[in-house]
Amino acid sequence: MNSGQIMTAQLENGGTIDFVLDANAPRGGMKHTFFTPDKKYAVQFFNNPQDGQNPNIQDRIRTIVGIYNPTLSEQDGGALGNTEKTAEYFRSRFCWPVAIVQSPEFGIVCPTYPQRFFFGDNASTHGLNLKGKDKKSNWFTGRMRKYISSGELGDFRTMLSAAICLSRSIRRMHQAGLAHSDLSCNNVLIDPQTGSTVVIDIDSLVVPGKYPPEVCGTRGYIAPEVLTTMELDPRDPRRCLPCVSTDLHALPVLIYEYLFLRHPLAGPKIYSPDSAEEDDFLAMGPKATFIEDPNDTSNRPQDLKITIQSLSKGLEKLFLRAFVDGLHNPSERPTAMEWERELLKAWDRLRRCENPHCEKKWFILRDEREPVCPYCKTRVTDKIITLTLKSAMRGKQGVYRDCGEVVVYDQMPLYDWHVYSNVHNDEKAGNDMRAYICKHNGMWLLVNHGIEGMTSPTGRLVPKGQAVELKDGAVFRMTDRENGLLCEVSAI
Amino acid sequence: MSDYIRRLPVYLLLDCSGSMSGEPIEAVKQGIKALLTELKGDPQALETAYLSVITFNSTARQVSPLTELMLFKEPELTAGGATALGGALCVLADCIKNEVRTSTATQKGDWKPLVFLLTDGAPTDNLEDGLEAIKNVSTGNIIACAAGANANTNTLRKITNNVLMMNNLTAGDLAAFFAWVSGSIKASSKSIDAKPGEAVQLPPPPQGFVIVP
Repeated sequence: MNSGQIMTAQLENGGTIDFVLDANAPRGGMKHTFFTPDKKYAVQFFNNPQDGQNPNIQDRIRTIVGIYNPTLSEQDGGALGNTEKTAEYFRSRFCWPVAIVQSPEFGIVCPTYPQRFFFGDNASTHGLNLKGKDKKSNWFTGRMRKYISSGELGDFRTMLSAAICLSRSIRRMHQAGLAHSDLSCNNVLIDPQTGSTVVIDIDSLVVPGKYPPEVCGTRGYIAPEVLTTMELDPRDPRRCLPCVSTDLHALPVLIYEYLFLRHPLAGPKIYSPDSAEEDDFLAMGPKATFIEDPNDTSNRPQDLKITIQSLSKGLEKLFLRAFVDGLHNPSERPTAMEWERELLKAWDRLRRCENPHCEKKWFILRDEREPVCPYCKTRVTDKIITLTLKSAMRGKQGVYRDCGEVVVYDQMPLYDWHVYSNVHNDEKAGNDMRAYICKHNGMWLLVNHGIEGMTSPTGRLVPKGQAVELKDGAVFRMTDRENGLLCEVSAI
Repeated sequence: MSDYIRRLPVYLLLDCSGSMSGEPIEAVKQGIKALLTELKGDPQALETAYLSVITFNSTARQVSPLTELMLFKEPELTAGGATALGGALCVLADCIKNEVRTSTATQKGDWKPLVFLLTDGAPTDNLEDGLEAIKNVSTGNIIACAAGANANTNTLRKITNNVLMMNNLTAGDLAAFFAWVSGSIKASSKSIDAKPGEAVQLPPPPQGFVIVP
């Protein structure tokens, strides 16, 4: 192979794409990767050319590039119901294959992931040369974190944001019936600074009705039932193959790693005195035990200080469902949508720690009556202002139901989903700031930045640029327009 | 939490006999440098792989004890003397016994060690002693690479079933060998989607290398 030589690949859609040959092309388990001269696209071929000729694999990949593609609008041949806006949203969150190579051999073309998922200069404080390397999440969540510059590490808030981003991407996949089948620290890159993730290696998805891919997953992320039955013949009905419910094991493992910087199953318990291999098999497979299992503390590390009880009650419950009830019972695992929803609720309870030296900087306010940062134990001295957002019940004059709670902080932005009951914080919502919170001369204000029809507690119009004071017990309309939310203030 | 981390011990057994002097030994030094750089770019390898170097000429000795990659110091290598391959295997067996944690009822053991052996000649000492010694320790994969025309692949076959042959002892081939070693270590450190007790799958050998059947 002549490294540096430029080759032209013929695409199935009639186009061509140039790529640069490289004898040291990055090589994964299934494929190796070349890049276009401008490095905007990766051109990937199978390590085993027979895989590329396999009609089952080709067929599956064609549907992934086409009718299951959430990064392409329905109009352009992508997923059903996908608009250009949602397609655009997911383009930066998935590295989704965009074309199929016909010759020199069967292969796929993927966009290269955004620059923020590659390390830049000075990423390591300990002389590691990371420039240009992928930001695999275990750089940030594993023991090697200590060698990464603090500027790269983000804080608790950005890691929570990454968890939301990932759960949303997986929810979108599962919504279409697709399973990733190999979610892991290698296949989800993370940028803690911006709190974003990108899911890569999309070509081994499980597609409904198509021949399944031959991956079983990555150590630490494989669902216990898949590892346990890996030795069985693929046609054996007891054999568990990757599917949506196995993704629903890998997803909370990643979320747990993002939020706690440790693995939920890696504890001190010795499962087998015979060999490391047997011990590990039991620990990740048939005998897997959550390190925070409330009923079985055999795998609980002695020095466990920050636990799922440091998060919101909703997230605590979901982790218990994922790693206690659902660990060996796949149907009990929370769905990606539940994760997304609960993480968003936690996001609305974030509070900046008053200790300027707090390493995590932010925490989830679990209980207003016990407002303490779980990381540095600094007690909240400032007022805690909670907005309860309510929407009018259809057909019932004057009856409202709670549809969200927001613990505010100074300079907090508010968006459409804080204003209208029919907008949710998801890929369809816009991200223009509509209002913001501001602490001014000891007063807490909600400043209208772009809402038509905001009204004060006394019913007067609050024009843009003016504010409502957030006093305990105050009730006002975020807007008097259709689907406008009512806001109830509690200040303690 | 670090107590629960299993290490992947990696032993490099390097021939430093007289025939390696000049370009080959320099290429080996460069190879180790490149290996370290490569592995330090991979979080899983960095977290699990521990490296040791054993050299052999007229005698064999461990020049770098099993060390985590971030603390690993490249050894001084000089070529000269004979090819004490049997002795090198004895040293390897001792090192594994002393350095690799075994699984017990109270201790998380290390993964089975990976051993890469590079030689360009035939043993000049008693190989049988070495073969006997390594029988008594558990290793995952031993990969032997016969470098150049004078290496004796039959001898290496007695040590392991995994024998590679590189035809020329050129700097380029040695560099390719070390690149492959780093690829193998990276694969082992993560692919332990391996079934218990089985040797891990290594990537295909570099171009120009022949697997000795």
